[in-house]
Amino acid sequence: MIKIENLEKVYRTEEVETKALNKVSLEVNEGEFVAIMGPSGCGKSTLLNILGLLDEPDGGSFKFLGTEIAKFNERNRADLRKRNIGFVFQSFNLIDELTVFENVELPLIYLGVGASERKEKVEKVLEKMQIMHRRNHFPQQLSGGQQQRVAVARAVINNPKLILADEPTGNLDSANGNEVMELLTELNEAGTTVIMVTHSEHDARYAHRVIRLLDGEVVMENVREQFTV
Amino acid sequence: MLKNYFKIACRNLWRNKAFSAINIFGLAIGMATCMVIMLFIADELSYDRYNKKADRMVRLTFKAVLNGNLLSFPTSAAPAAQTLLADYSEVQEATRLRQMGGVIFSYENRTFKEEAIAYVDANFFQVFTIPIIQGNAKTALTEPNTVVISKEAAHRFFGKENPIGKVLQNKSENTSYKVTALIDEVPSNSHFHYDIFVSMASYAPAKEPTWLSNNFVTYLVLPPGYNYKELEAKLPDVVEKYMGPEIKKSMGLSLAEHRKQGNEVGLYLQPLKDIHLHSDYTNDLQANGDIRYVYIFGAIAIFMLLIAGINFMNLSTAGASKRAREVGIRKVLGSVKRDLVQQFLLESVLLTVLALLLAISLVYLVLPVFNELAGKALTLQLANNIWLVPGLLMFGLVVGILAGCYPAFYLSSFRPVAVLKGTITKGKESLNLRSGLVVFQFFISIALIVSVTVVYQQLTYIQNKKVGYDKEQVLVVHDSYLLGSQEEVLRQKLLADPRVLNASISSYLPAGPTNSNNSVVLADNDASKSVNTNQFRVDYNYLPTLGIQLVTGRNFSKDFASDSLGLIINEAAVRAFGWNNNILGREVSCFINNKGDKAVYKVIGVVKDFHFKSLHQRIGPLLLMLGDNGGSIVVKAKTKDIAGLLTALKGEWTSFSKDTPLVYTFLDERFMQTYQKEKKIGYILSIFAGLTIFVACLGLFGLATFTAEQRTKEIGIRKVLGASLPNLVSLLSRDFLKLVLLANIIAWPLAWYAMNKWLQDFEYRTSISWWVFILAGALAILIALVTVSYQAIKAAVANPVKTLRNE
Ligand SMILES: Nc1ncnc2c1ncn2[C@@H]1O[C@H](COP(=O)(O)OP(=O)(O)OP(=O)(O)O)[C@@H](O)[C@H]1O
Ligand SMILES: [Mg+2]
Repeated sequence: MIKIENLEKVYRTEEVETKALNKVSLEVNEGEFVAIMGPSGCGKSTLLNILGLLDEPDGGSFKFLGTEIAKFNERNRADLRKRNIGFVFQSFNLIDELTVFENVELPLIYLGVGASERKEKVEKVLEKMQIMHRRNHFPQQLSGGQQQRVAVARAVINNPKLILADEPTGNLDSANGNEVMELLTELNEAGTTVIMVTHSEHDARYAHRVIRLLDGEVVMENVREQFTV
Repeated sequence: MLKNYFKIACRNLWRNKAFSAINIFGLAIGMATCMVIMLFIADELSYDRYNKKADRMVRLTFKAVLNGNLLSFPTSAAPAAQTLLADYSEVQEATRLRQMGGVIFSYENRTFKEEAIAYVDANFFQVFTIPIIQGNAKTALTEPNTVVISKEAAHRFFGKENPIGKVLQNKSENTSYKVTALIDEVPSNSHFHYDIFVSMASYAPAKEPTWLSNNFVTYLVLPPGYNYKELEAKLPDVVEKYMGPEIKKSMGLSLAEHRKQGNEVGLYLQPLKDIHLHSDYTNDLQANGDIRYVYIFGAIAIFMLLIAGINFMNLSTAGASKRAREVGIRKVLGSVKRDLVQQFLLESVLLTVLALLLAISLVYLVLPVFNELAGKALTLQLANNIWLVPGLLMFGLVVGILAGCYPAFYLSSFRPVAVLKGTITKGKESLNLRSGLVVFQFFISIALIVSVTVVYQQLTYIQNKKVGYDKEQVLVVHDSYLLGSQEEVLRQKLLADPRVLNASISSYLPAGPTNSNNSVVLADNDASKSVNTNQFRVDYNYLPTLGIQLVTGRNFSKDFASDSLGLIINEAAVRAFGWNNNILGREVSCFINNKGDKAVYKVIGVVKDFHFKSLHQRIGPLLLMLGDNGGSIVVKAKTKDIAGLLTALKGEWTSFSKDTPLVYTFLDERFMQTYQKEKKIGYILSIFAGLTIFVACLGLFGLATFTAEQRTKEIGIRKVLGASLPNLVSLLSRDFLKLVLLANIIAWPLAWYAMNKWLQDFEYRTSISWWVFILAGALAILIALVTVSYQAIKAAVANPVKTLRNE
C-alpha cells in the first residue's frame, strides 16, 4: 500500500538546517498495523505527516496505492488524502465550536455527502464508539478519553484505507489509552491499515510490526513474535 | 517603573508592527477627518462675527405673498434705512449696500473688468469692522464719485504707486471715481465680498423715495442686549404707513383690500449672524452656506471619530487577547492587576498620541485640497490657537484611555488558571459587541454610498434635462454694450460667418448670472389678476438663437411696428393669468416706473415653458418683450469648430474695441455653474464616503486578522479533514458578510429617507432608483469580501502541520 525509498526531509530555519528524515525506506502492506517508535525529535511526526500527505518530502520516492506521489501538488494530495486517510492526534484536535456530531460529520461534508446520508453514517459510527449519548455535547464537556473516541470516530467516518495516529494515547490515562488501542485494533481487524507513532512499548505491542527511528534514520524493524508463528 | 512600562509598550508595538500600523493609521484618519470637519464647521459658524457689532446687527428683509407665490428678498427699499433711523430710537445706526453688476474700469490706458463692486453708504465702514489701512473711515465715502478699494485691487490698478487720490474711469457709465481710502480685504468669513466700494452719494436711485422697489441691502445696529423681535413687531406700521399708499396708487387697491385677496406684504429682520447659515432668499449677495450641511458634516465627523475610536478599541482588545497567555503567566508570577491595567493603558495612550501626530500631518497635507473643493481658506495654525494643542492632547489622552480601558480591564481580570487552560480565548459578549460595530460602520458607509450616488444622479439628471432651450454650442459675448452702436455691426458680422447659425443681443440669459427683472403685472388690466412675473428684454433673434419653441402665435417681427408693445409669454404665465382660450391679442399691464405708471402690452405669442431659472425652482410666469437693452451677444454656432470661431471673434472684437478685453462664456457651462453647490457636496460626500469605507475596512481587516488568528487551529483541523481553499475562505468570510448584509438592511430605508428629503430642494428631480441600493450594497459586500478574504486566504493556505504543531 505504501512504499517509500530514500525519503528525505530537511527543515531550514535561518541558520540551522535539520535533517529530520535521512534516506528512510520502508514498506507497509494493506491490512498491517505498524508502530513507529524512537526518541523525541527523531522525526516520527515528520514521517507520519509525509505519509499522511500533509507535508511534502524533499527527496526520494513515495508510492501510495501504487502511484508515485512525491511530486504531487497540494490540491492532488488533498484530494487523495480526504478519500483515503484518517487522522488521530495526541491532542485530539477537535473543533471547540462544533458539537460531537458536527465534528464527526465534517469529513463527509468536505466529501460532498448528502445530509441524510451523513446523519445515518455519523450515528452509526457514534453508536459504535459508544458516545452516541454525547452527540450534542461540545468537546470541552467531554473527558480526554471521550474526546479521543470522537477523534477516532471522525477519522473512520469515511471508511479510510489508512489511519495515521500520532501518539493517540499520549494525553490519556492507561484505562482510556487501552480503550483507544482496542478501537484501533478493531478497525485494523476490519481491514484498515493503521500506522501509529508511540512512545509506549505497551501500546506498540498492539502493532504487528515496530519501526524504530533514530536521528531521522530507520535503525530497526522487528516483527511481533506471535505474528511470525 | 514608568520607564520600564514605556520600554515594554514600545517593544510590544514594534513586535506587532502590522497590527500597530493599522491601528495607528485608522485612528489617525478618523482624527484627521474629524479635525478637518471641525475646522470647516468652525469657519461656517464664524461668519460675520468679525464685526464688533455683530451681536446687535440685523438685516432688513422683504417678504410678500402674491397670488399664492412667496417672494422673499434680502433687500429692501431705498428710503427704509433713513426712515427707520428717524422713526425708531432703538435703531442706532443704519447703512445700505447696493450690489453693482460687472463694471469696466480704466486707469491710464489699461482696462479692468471688475465684478465685485457695491455702492455703500458713507457710514458703512463704521458699521462693519473692515479695517481701513489708509485714509479716513469716517469721511472716505461722504462725497459723490469717491471709492474705497482693497489692497489687492489697488495693486491691480496702480501697481506699487500710492492709490490715494488716483482717479479711476468707469467706462460702463462714463463717470470717474477718486480713491479716498484703502482696506486690507473683506474677511473670508463675510456674507459679502467686494473689492471696490463706491460712495452711495454717486448713485441717484439711492435718493428715490419709492417703497415698492427693493434693491438695497439695509443693515441696522440695535442697542446692546436689545431683542430684535421687538423692533420687528413694529415693522407692520412701517408697511402700513409707507408702502400702503404706494400700493393703493399703483394697483388701485388699499393694503387691506390687497390683503383680503390673500396677498401679504411684510418687512422682517434677520440677525447678521444668521445670514450665512439660515438664509433662503432669492438673489442673496453671494452663495450662502446651509445649516443642514453643518449638521450633516458634524454628524459625519462624530461618526468618523466614533468608528475610528471603536476600531482602535476593537483592535487593541483583539491584540490583547492574543496576550491572554502572557497575562496569565504574569499573574501566576505575581503581577498585580494594577500593573497590568497601567501597562495596557500606557500602550493605548502611546498609540493614540502617535495617531494624533500622524493626524495633524495628514490635516496639513489635505487642507489645501479640501480648501480647493470647498472654496475655503482653512488653516490649522497650532501656534495661533492657545486651546488647540492642549485640546488635541486632551483629546488623544481621552481616546487613548477610553480605548485602552476595555482591553485593560477585560484582560487583567482573567483568572490565570482559566487563561492558561485556554478556556477564555473568545468572550461571546465581546463578539457581539464587535459584530455590532461592523454593522454600524458598514451602515454608515452604505448610507454614504447611496447618498453620493443620488447626488450624482441628480447632477446627471440636471445635465441631461431638456431645459427647453439650446445650451450646447452657444457662446455668450459679454459687455458688448461697450461697443455702443457698433454692437449691432458686430452681430451682423458674426451672422455672416458660415459657422454661426444665429445671433441675438440681450443681457437676459436663461443660465448663469444674468440681468433679471421681476415685477408685478395686471392681466387684462384687472387689479385682482396681479401676478409677479419675470421679464426678459430681448430682440428679434432671441427665440431662434436659443431654439425656444413657440406654441401659438409668432415671434417678434420688424414687419409689425406695434411689436414694441407686443408680448410673448410662456405657458406658466398663461396659467397664472387664468387664461384658457383666445390668448393672442389679450392685454397685460406692466408698470414702467416706480411711480405707478403703466403700459399695456398685447400678447402676440406663447412659448413652451423653458427653464430660465435653476431647477430648484418651478418655472414661473415669464414675459418676453422687445427692448433695446444691449448687454451681451448670444451666438449659436452650428460648427464643432468652436476654436476657429473664437479666433475669428477675437479678431473682430479687437477691430472694434482695442482697450477692452473680450470676455465670453459658454451657455452650457453657465448652466452647470448654477449647481456648483451640489457638485461640491457631491465631491465632499464622496471623499467622506471613501474615508469612512477605508476606516471601516481597516477595522474589518483587523477583526478578520484577529478571527483568523483565533481560528488557526480550527482551520488546520478542517484542512486535514479535507476542506478546500474555497471551503475555508467562505467559512471565514461568511460571518462578516452576514453583518454587512444586515448593515444594508438598516442603511437602505434611512438613506432613502434622507436623500428623498435632499431631493425635495429641487422642483425638478430624478427619482431614486432601486439599483442605487443594490449597487451600494454590492459595493460594500465586495469591499468587505476583499478585505476579509486576504486574511482568510492567508489562513487557509497555511500548512496545517505547522498550525497544529503549535498546540
Ligand atoms: N517546522 C519545523 N521547522 C524546523 N525544524 C523542525 C520543524 N518541525 C520539526 N523540526 C525538527 O525536525 C526534527 C524532527 O521533528 P519531529 O516533530 O518529527 O520529531 P518527533 O520524533 O515527532 O518528536 P516527538 O516525539 O517529540 O514528537 C526535530 O529535530 C525538530 O526540531
Ligand atoms: Mg511528534
